[in-house]
Amino acid sequence: MKNLFQWISDHSVLMIILVLALIPFILPYEALATQMIIWGLLTLGYNILYGYTGLLSFGHAAYFGLGAYATGIVLIRTNCSLLAGIGAGVLVSCIGATVIGFFCLRRRGIYFALLTMAFAQMLYFTASIWESLTGGEPGLRNIPRPPLEIPGLVSINIYKPLRFYFFVWACVVVSLLILNRILESPFGKVLQGIRENEKRAKALGYNTNRIKWLSFILSGAFSGLAGALHTLYIHFVGLEQLYWETSGKILLMTLLGGPGTFFGPFIGAGVFLYLEDMISGFTRYWMIVLGPIFILCVLFFPQGIWGKVRDLADKNRGIPLERG
Amino acid sequence: MEILTTENLTKKFGGLTAVANVDIHLGKNEIQSIIGPNGAGKSTLFKLVNGELKPTRGRIWFNGEDITGLEQHLISRKGIATSYQITNIFPKLTTFENVRLAVQSRETPYNLWSRARSHETLNGKAEEILKKIGLWDKRDHLAANLSYGNQRHLEIGVALGTDPILLLMDEPTSGLSPIETRETVRLIREIAGGLSVILVEHKMKVVMDLSDNITVLHEGEVIARGNPQEIRANETVRRVYLGGVRE
Repeated sequence: MKNLFQWISDHSVLMIILVLALIPFILPYEALATQMIIWGLLTLGYNILYGYTGLLSFGHAAYFGLGAYATGIVLIRTNCSLLAGIGAGVLVSCIGATVIGFFCLRRRGIYFALLTMAFAQMLYFTASIWESLTGGEPGLRNIPRPPLEIPGLVSINIYKPLRFYFFVWACVVVSLLILNRILESPFGKVLQGIRENEKRAKALGYNTNRIKWLSFILSGAFSGLAGALHTLYIHFVGLEQLYWETSGKILLMTLLGGPGTFFGPFIGAGVFLYLEDMISGFTRYWMIVLGPIFILCVLFFPQGIWGKVRDLADKNRGIPLERG
Repeated sequence: MEILTTENLTKKFGGLTAVANVDIHLGKNEIQSIIGPNGAGKSTLFKLVNGELKPTRGRIWFNGEDITGLEQHLISRKGIATSYQITNIFPKLTTFENVRLAVQSRETPYNLWSRARSHETLNGKAEEILKKIGLWDKRDHLAANLSYGNQRHLEIGVALGTDPILLLMDEPTSGLSPIETRETVRLIREIAGGLSVILVEHKMKVVMDLSDNITVLHEGEVIARGNPQEIRANETVRRVYLGGVRE
């Protein structure tokens, strides 16, 4: 059991990839699985900033929304390929995070959180007013999902749910590999150092302001990719994607799964969406059920579901695991 | 050549002058202690030198270069490290990672693509430091779980990790038992072989044992300087400081 846990920890990326390849066959329908891994990717991006760097953003709806809108607008207005559409989404989110991050990082703690939220809300209202571009209140409809084309090589239709799922899965796998690389790099260790003790990190000669900014941008880029995929998934971008509730949902999922752990975001997103799907079958007021679950989580395992599992395994091992 | 020189260094907080026209002269490989009663301005002086605070007036030269007003992280890169009085480590990282983070700070922080765990030179240096401070067998423990004495040593290890030319040590033995204090004195003597040290310390035995020279601060001003014998014999110092402290 202990060795098994160690093995899973050592091969966390491989494990996630395998588990994610299986869930469309386990869950009642593929759409739920697709939704789970898109939100998993979104929280993964969020976790860079919150879980690893220790910066509590309350405005990640902004980058999710920017990615979603940019991809939607580009695919409707131009005749570009699937990958170009996704690229546009990621690029716009990156730019958004670069600008917004620059301002928000002037402040710390609660002021930082409020600034991120204020910027996200500004984008929300901008999107609701700028109807010619965003479709305003009713949202952006009938967004095409072009085939996956690599010029001169292949053209694959990804219209069927299962095929689309595996397309998203491939994007997530690439993201996971990149992210794992980054978090295990010296740079990734500095992020954790900043989370643990920013003053000392600065005293050691790290330009913590610039490093936090880079973390912010990276986080925005992955969130933007999730937004782009979400647009392709439902052929639609709604205003609510930019609303502060979305930011809250991202934070809830991360806390539920385990901030600062590699598995956490996917577990949090998966559990959250599964409960939502299950409970909203019985009642419209599923948030009433979520509330107590969330309170119990925060009271009894503030380190999140995966954080709790890891701590239990650590206790069994008697020595602390090397944290990654 | 002097490693550190300050000239008329002054820091005011509103109406309060914490450090007033202080001149420090520190030679290469010298251990100099700064002593004085609480509130004499010792900690403020450290913060001015390591860049945590900007001086109101005066200049600081380090290794022949004017570093006055430079950003803290840039001063650190010039070769000044601090070990803090209140343990200032990375609690949820392992002992090893604490030191490695300090060691790797001398390289570019924007290395996003190689694996930290397989950096042989970084790991080798971290290992060397951990052995020196006696924490190699506790390398996988989270820093938060170390005993207080061990954390004090890790604090010094993290400062050493940046490979400093000048080490500012703020009460390295505070809160330690006599045995642990002896151990720390031995450690300071060992590391001081290759670098300059400014030591702030209240235990007079430690100060007298280790220091080449001593500067005495009182209400932000230098009231005496000299080697341990001279300071011990100095009437003013006896009156304002040593008189109240047992040796």
